[in-house]
Parts: sequence; C-alpha cells; structure tokens
Amino acid sequence: MPPAPADVLGPKPVDGGWGWMVVLGAHISIGFAYSTPKALSIFFKPIKEDLGASYSEIAWISSIMLAVMYAGGPVSSVLVRRFGSRPVVMVGGLMCGVSMVTASFGSSIVYLYLCIGIIGGWGLCFNLNASLTIISKYFLAKRPLANGLAMAGSPVFLCFLAPVNQYLLGHFGWRGSLLILGGMMLNCCVAGAVMRPVTQHSAPPKEVDQSNNTKSKGSRLKKVKTFADLSSFKDPGFIIYLVGNVMFIFGAYAPIVFLSAYAVSRGVEEYSAAYLLSVMGFVDMFVRPLTGLVANSKWVRPRIQYLFSFAMVFNGTFHLLCPLMRTYPLLVAYAVFFGVGFGMVFALIFECLMDLMGNQRFPSAVGLVTIIECFPMLLGPPAAGLLVDIFDDYKYLFFMCGGVITTGGLFLFVMNVYNYNRLEKANRGKDTEQNQNTVENQEQASSSEAQMELMNTAQPEPEPEHTKETR
Amino acid sequence: MELLPINILLMLATCRLTSSETVGPTLTPLTLASALPTNSTRVHLTGENKVENVELLNPVNLSLECIWTGNQDKQPSITGYWRKGGEEIQDSRVPVAPENQQYRLQRVFNIVSEEHLGNYTCVFENEAELDFILAVPQIGEKREKPIISYVGDFVVLTCKMEEKKPVPRTWNWFKTNGTDKEQIFEAQRYNIIVNGHKTKLKVKDVSEADSGVYHCAAVYNISTSTSKMHLKVITIWEPLKPFLGILVEVVILVTAILIYERSHSKKKEAEANGRNADPKNTQPQVEDDEAEENTSVRQRKT
Repeated sequence: MPPAPADVLGPKPVDGGWGWMVVLGAHISIGFAYSTPKALSIFFKPIKEDLGASYSEIAWISSIMLAVMYAGGPVSSVLVRRFGSRPVVMVGGLMCGVSMVTASFGSSIVYLYLCIGIIGGWGLCFNLNASLTIISKYFLAKRPLANGLAMAGSPVFLCFLAPVNQYLLGHFGWRGSLLILGGMMLNCCVAGAVMRPVTQHSAPPKEVDQSNNTKSKGSRLKKVKTFADLSSFKDPGFIIYLVGNVMFIFGAYAPIVFLSAYAVSRGVEEYSAAYLLSVMGFVDMFVRPLTGLVANSKWVRPRIQYLFSFAMVFNGTFHLLCPLMRTYPLLVAYAVFFGVGFGMVFALIFECLMDLMGNQRFPSAVGLVTIIECFPMLLGPPAAGLLVDIFDDYKYLFFMCGGVITTGGLFLFVMNVYNYNRLEKANRGKDTEQNQNTVENQEQASSSEAQMELMNTAQPEPEPEHTKETR
Repeated sequence: MELLPINILLMLATCRLTSSETVGPTLTPLTLASALPTNSTRVHLTGENKVENVELLNPVNLSLECIWTGNQDKQPSITGYWRKGGEEIQDSRVPVAPENQQYRLQRVFNIVSEEHLGNYTCVFENEAELDFILAVPQIGEKREKPIISYVGDFVVLTCKMEEKKPVPRTWNWFKTNGTDKEQIFEAQRYNIIVNGHKTKLKVKDVSEADSGVYHCAAVYNISTSTSKMHLKVITIWEPLKPFLGILVEVVILVTAILIYERSHSKKKEAEANGRNADPKNTQPQVEDDEAEENTSVRQRKT
C-alpha cells in the first residue's frame, strides 16, 4: 500500500468547517481583483476633464492595472510558497488601499498610471494568486464548489461596485471616490486575515525519520527550483491547458467591450444596450456557483476537463450566433447565454488547473499561466476593434472571437482525450514501482490520479484525530 | 458668422396638414412639405408632429406658411388665425377658401430681437393647428449632476454647442448671485477660453464660496442660449469621514479574527496536550525542515 499521500502532497484538505470562511475571504479578494479595473471606468470621464487627458490615455490606467495583475503572477507565486497566503493577501490589500488613496491626490496622468496601475495592479495580483492557492489547500473533495463560489466574487462585486461608484462620484467627485474606494479595498486585509494557514497533521514518526534524510538533500534542490519553477512546462497536460486558455482569453473580453456598441448599431437605444451587460453579469453571478456544484458531482468530477472544453465551445458558439441576433429580445437572449458560458468557463478555469497540477505545483503553475495570459488579454480587444474599423461591421468581431474560442474548446477536448489515455497507461506502469520511488519522483507523478486516491480515502469521514485537530 | 444686413433674408416654411380618412380633425396627422426661394429652410415632417423647431441666429423677416388638406366636410370657407405664446395675434383673423382642395394660411413675421422669439401657432379654427418654435440653437448637453471640487484645487467648467449647429459669435460666463446673474470676466482666478463651439472656464484656488450655479451663454446676433451647471466645493474632510469609518471597521475585524484564532488554537493545544501521550514536539521539527510547508510555522510558538 502506498504511503499516505498527505505526507507527499502536503497537509490534508479540510473540505469544510473554517474552509467556508476562507472561501468567503477568497470571494472578496477575487471580487476586488477582477471588478476594480472595470469599475474604475466610471471615473474616467471626470478624471479626463480635470486632468485634460485624452480618452485613450485614461483607458491605459485599466490596461496597466490588468497587465500588472496578470504579469506579477510568478512573483506572487514565489511569495505565497515562501510566506503562505495570509500575509500575501494582507499586503496585497494594503497595497490596493494605498494605491487608491495616493491616486486621489494625483494631478497628472502618469502619476495615476503609477498609483492605480502599478501599485494597485501589484496589490490585486497578490490578492488573486494567494486566494486561489489557499482554496487548493483547504479543499479537495468540495474544491470545484469552493472555486465556483470564490470566482463568483467577480460578477457580484462588479454588480455592487458599479452603482456604489456612481453614488460616490455624485457626492464626492472622483478624488473623494478614490479615497473611499481605497478604504473599501482595505477589506481585502480582512479577507486575508481569515485565510488561516493550514495546520500540519501529525505524521507517524517512522515515516518522518525516513523522509528526513532524503529531504535534507532534496530541500536544497527544491529551494533553487521554487525560485524559478518552470517544471510545469514539462507536463503535457499543462501545455494543453495553456494553449486552450490563451485562445479563450484572446476572444473572451472583446465581446464584452463591444456589446453595447454593437447593440446601438442595431438600433437599440443606449440605456437598453448598457442593460445587456448587466443581464450578463447577473446571470454570471449565479452560474458560477452552480457550475461549481455540477462539477463537484461524482459523475462530472473525474471528467472535469471535458466540462471545461464543453463550456468553452458553448461560449464560442453563441458568439458565432450573435450576428444573427438582430432584435433586442434576441440580444437579451444572447446576453443570457453569454453570461452562462462565461460563468461556466471562469468557474472552472482555475479548478481545472488545480486538477491538472495538484496542490504542490499549483501556486507556481498559476503564476506562469497568468503571466502568459497577459498577452492575449491585452491584445484581444484592440485586435477585435481593428476588425471593426477595417470592415466597419461588428459581425467579423464576433466571428473571430467565437471562432477562436470554439477552436480552443475543441482543441482542449481532443487533447484531453489523448492526455487522459496517456495518464491511464502511465499509472498502470507506475503502480508496480510506486513504493520504491523517492519523494521527488512521487511529486511528479500524475497528480490527478493521486488526487483521486486522496479523494477516495477522504470520501468516508476521515480518521477521528484529524477531524478533531482541524476543528 | 458675420453680421448680415437685417431685412434681406427671407425664410419660408410651409406645412401641409393632411387629414386621415376616418379620424376626425382633432386627431389629424399633420404633414409638412417644403418649398422656398432664397435661403429657405426646408422642413419635411410627416406623421403626428404638432411642433416645428426653427433655429434663428440673426434678425430676419420670416414667412410661416401652413397648408391643410381639409377633411370630408369640404367647408367653403374656414377661419384661420395666428397665435403667439398662446394669445391670439390681433388682426390676424382671415377667412380661408380652399384652392385645389388645400387651405393655406401664411404670414410674414418681423423677427428682430429676443422678444420676437417664441411659440407661434397657425390655427384653422376648430379643425387643426401647428406650432412653430422660434429659438436660438440650444446647448445640447445638460449637466444634471453637480461638479465636485475640493478647496484649494482648480476646476474646469466646459460648455459645448453641437458641431452641426451654427457657431456662436462668442461665449459668456455668469454666476448666480442670489437672484441675479453676475458676469465673470478674465481675472487672476478666472481663466476663460473661447474656442468656436466650445468654451472653458477655469477657476483656480476654489473655496466654498465658489459653490453655486454657473451659466454659460452662447451669444448669437438675435439672442443668447444658456446652459447651467452646479459647482459644489467641499473640504477634504467630507470623504475622509467615511474613509476613516471603513478604516476603523477593517482594523476591528482583523484584530477580532486574529484574537479569535489565537484563543481558539490555544484551546486546541490544551486539549491535544491533555489527550495525547506524545506531546506534539515532533511537529515543529518537521516544519522547520520542510521549507515549502512553513505556512503553519507562523501559528505555532516554538
């Protein structure tokens, strides 16, 4: 019988109890991370008037913030591995607060780039990365649900921040609003405070002595590896995931940016066009936890990568159908389905990475994923905008986005069939040698299979001493 | 636009009033057709329009014409007259006989100054009527929400006339003082920029006394068109109050959570120490060795 996977893969997940408080903290943290760059656009017009900048100069604030948030991933990963999630999220929250407060005193656009874009972006980066990591530490059996609930923070906070920002703008102007927004973002520190570090479980003393010897040799090697952990690239599953994701992100945001404009061009009045985005966001809010619930079910969980590919294809298909939606009711239907597809993908996007990489490799993997995703995210909307400018017709934008996303989804589906088969064959071979392998080799073993084992041992109520400790 | 000689321009606007086949005169849809010689304003209006907007910049002799196509009654003669601002214009009553099944009412108005602008109505007694609204080009963008600024800061107020509308001769700025409007002139604290369709008023070093309603006026030869905006100057203390409130809330919550956790883990340790034969001394050693797993080191006091 193989040694308890908990020794190899880290502390055993709690899957409940305080974990739900951690999910709440992650919900808040992720919520601010995704919704702040979008919600700031409400302040652009007054800032533009006061500072005398052009619209594109102002729009760069959000772009810089998003870019730094994604590009800072690897650094955030290193910090999380070193210090754990709690200090990182608390520092992130502090940075966000400071960024907004200092920005409120700004008198030049470059100053805003620095404060909101760079400092704010770093703060959000720490928030995002560390929150995702701690979920992977606290949950395994219920992890898809936890991820779905945490990721739902993005639409919930957007829904909440948009009217709040309008209200603040009307009463305090953009400077006062940024000041108060900074205060609100300090609540990420509260979110960080609940991210209690997971306690180590008592390992049987015999195992500890054995692994101690191998560890003193291996830990030096590990220290080098943690600083620049590119080992994820050796995993074919990771490469597949990355390619599919890049394609998704490239096509994902442009329809959001241009939906109102497209609706207006179809003769819908401006207010109703803006309402379409609210519909999408509202649907998104509920779809994310629901998807998490579905993904958690016994039948879907082992095939979660297929659900992810299905969600992408679903999303892409509706983008392809959008040019056929010429009337307002049809556009509302499109917005609803867009919300469903978008929510499904985002509920699963990090869950699938956790499923692929396992708890140990997830922090560095997510850092690598975000920094690579930076490029399609920044290039997607302008490329789509270019299409609109060249052809003077929105339908090509939707064809491109839908096409890229659907191709990505199909690619993921096909490659995952291949990858699952490969893993099955590999594990049948490994079963015979597993007991003699060193700790390092075991870490590189297919983590999804090891997770299945963990789950199988975790499904029935875990041993009494474990439960008592974690309560 | 330069000043033009006063009585040369002649503008004619005609409207054709058509009755529907089944509905009575009060629900008559009104249609307009064009027709003008020099410098005409062609207006095509179809459907239920009962109002026609006429933009005027300069003093002019304006000819307004209404054409009504009658209804089933085919009256031999109908009385037509004109109203200005709701009141009948004296000596404007004339009998109207149909020509080619159309009733035509026309009058030339001498529009010279601001009091001649307003609402003119041609009326076919008890049958149909149409409003003409004579006015200077209106400033489109209305700023309903107040502009907020902070004591000591500067603020820029802007006014814009739509590009497709005629350019104003100049722009003026006013501030409401009680019931009066006081004009603002270029001064140390005020900086006025006039740029064709746009104008900007920059107020430096604002104080709370600068709060109030400001008007920008687009000046045309015949009249001016104004738009107002509200400026509110507040001190830094206003947003600072909610900010400090939130700050206090965050500090309280963080402290409470950490205190709860500390007391909770002390309880757990006490329980565990009481129950287990081995004390949990092996644990801190294991944690020190594993560099990656030191998230829990912070919690234990070694």
